[in-house]
Amino acid sequence: MKLKSTTLRAFTALHSWVGLCAGFALFVAFYAGAITVFQQPVQQWASPRTVAAASLDDMQGLLDHVLATHQEARIRLGMTFPGYAGNSPTAYWPDRHGTWQFASPEQPDGGPTLPGAALPELINALHYSLGLPLAGMYLMGVVSLLYGIALVSGLIIHLPRLTKDLFALRPGRNLKRFWQDAHNAIGVLSLPFHAVFAVTGAMLCLSVVLMMAIGPLAYRGQLLGASATAMDTAPQRPVTGVAATLAPVSTWVAQARAVARQQGLRDFEPRYLKLSHAGDSHATVEITGEVPHAMATGTLALDAHDGTLLADQLPGQRDANHATLAWAYALHFGDYGNALVQWLYLLLGLGGAFLFYSGNLLWIETRRRRQQAEQRRSSRLMARATVGVCIGVCVAISSAAVAAQWLPRLGLSVDNGERWACFVSWALCLLWACLRTPAQAARELLWLAAVVTAMVPLAHGMATGAWFWRSAAAGQTAIAAVDLGALALAAGFAAMARASARRARTGEPNSVWADTRE
Amino acid sequence: MWARASAGVVPGFFLVTAVIGLVDWLLPGPWQSALVPSVLAFCPLWVGVICASLQFAGGRQAWLWLGALAGTGLLLLHALQTLDWVR
Repeated sequence: MKLKSTTLRAFTALHSWVGLCAGFALFVAFYAGAITVFQQPVQQWASPRTVAAASLDDMQGLLDHVLATHQEARIRLGMTFPGYAGNSPTAYWPDRHGTWQFASPEQPDGGPTLPGAALPELINALHYSLGLPLAGMYLMGVVSLLYGIALVSGLIIHLPRLTKDLFALRPGRNLKRFWQDAHNAIGVLSLPFHAVFAVTGAMLCLSVVLMMAIGPLAYRGQLLGASATAMDTAPQRPVTGVAATLAPVSTWVAQARAVARQQGLRDFEPRYLKLSHAGDSHATVEITGEVPHAMATGTLALDAHDGTLLADQLPGQRDANHATLAWAYALHFGDYGNALVQWLYLLLGLGGAFLFYSGNLLWIETRRRRQQAEQRRSSRLMARATVGVCIGVCVAISSAAVAAQWLPRLGLSVDNGERWACFVSWALCLLWACLRTPAQAARELLWLAAVVTAMVPLAHGMATGAWFWRSAAAGQTAIAAVDLGALALAAGFAAMARASARRARTGEPNSVWADTRE
Repeated sequence: MWARASAGVVPGFFLVTAVIGLVDWLLPGPWQSALVPSVLAFCPLWVGVICASLQFAGGRQAWLWLGALAGTGLLLLHALQTLDWVR
């Protein structure tokens, strides 16, 4: 397809604008999201003490206690199995005001705080909402749409020279060309991964708003009502008002495994359950679990009293709705396959963060005045914002991790302290970037990121004695990997700081990145 | 560029709604059985329409074409639903 030069220019302008509007949020989403892939190891790493692996009996005890003490939990309750989201099971249900309550064997009476360390959830909140309240998620939904537009327009601009340029990484004096090559190569090579995130990210953040908007137009107002049935496995059963006793969790698990085996799926491993109308004779339980070598999860719906199978959506047998949903979740969260997939997601996530960072650098470089030292105000502002927001969030996440280890030892509240450490350090980085020249700010904040990130394993070792070589020797490789990952990131930041310093000293003088004058 | 892109955003939204609705309701079986794939497909299709809108010669053409297509699509869908020819 040959595009007219005016159309190509329009695509280039569109790509730049949506990239600029969404780039900062996307950098945060990708950097935090890359770490969120390892949510469970980070949870173990940040937990003040290692909780011993719980059993199904512990889960049963927690379920009985929650149902006996919280009337609302009888209407609707979810529960993770031990070993899925941490060693302990967690029960969760909405109270009468709609606020989610959480309980674990350690906090059986429940409360609005998610059990376990707050650090992984803080990083996850940065990933999906920039740490903002509810509107943050919708904002990220819009950002996902802009991201999709940037991907398509970027591909269209690059398409005519795709094969020629793809592997042409040209280092040398022309820095802009080098950044452009790296931006294009990473963008194109990881395109399927980015396409998956643009689509699933938009769906996860915007589906409810979208369904409310298109429902009356195309579905006669029935879309929202039908969506629950399309996404749940259990059939809707009316409450009878007749009391009945629940079968034990072990019976549900045994029945779910037996049904899965009958369908040729061996080793069905339950991950979480959803129980509704507990105590009523029409109580139902949905058990979602993994099957080795099957892509995405499968769900069975059972009668909660006798374990009779009501319906199932297992791999190979799922309808279009459930298969789409299971695939979308699995692809977004990278929770299929083995550790290799997770490491790949980490690398591609960091590569994505680079894509948005390099996009901003290219925007600045394209507008550079080569013949005069004074650069445009817009370039200086963009450079400051890029350094403050992007390097700032790296400092912020590492600060929160350091705080997670040291705050309890200082007798301070971990949850609030981590948030303060995160957002105050981020704000200070932004302020610093405003006060210094872009070249100074880039160099200094990169060194700061290197130092704070290198402090992550140090803080962990000093606080718990679990130095990474000890964790590795004790077979706790996931915990050691968090420390080693932080060290690797710190080395990366230090290398970038040195490169920035070198660029400022010896690179082309007329640039916002040069140590001459602004 | 903005006039054309905004055509992709505003009438483009209604056009994609119509297309999604028509496909979902015209597929064999009840529309509910393809609900999740339809909602999932919405955003990529909308992005596609926004990008494709830059191919129009100008903003006016983009708004007129996309608006007319969206209106026709939604009217057709409503007619089919009202006549009970799709379910």
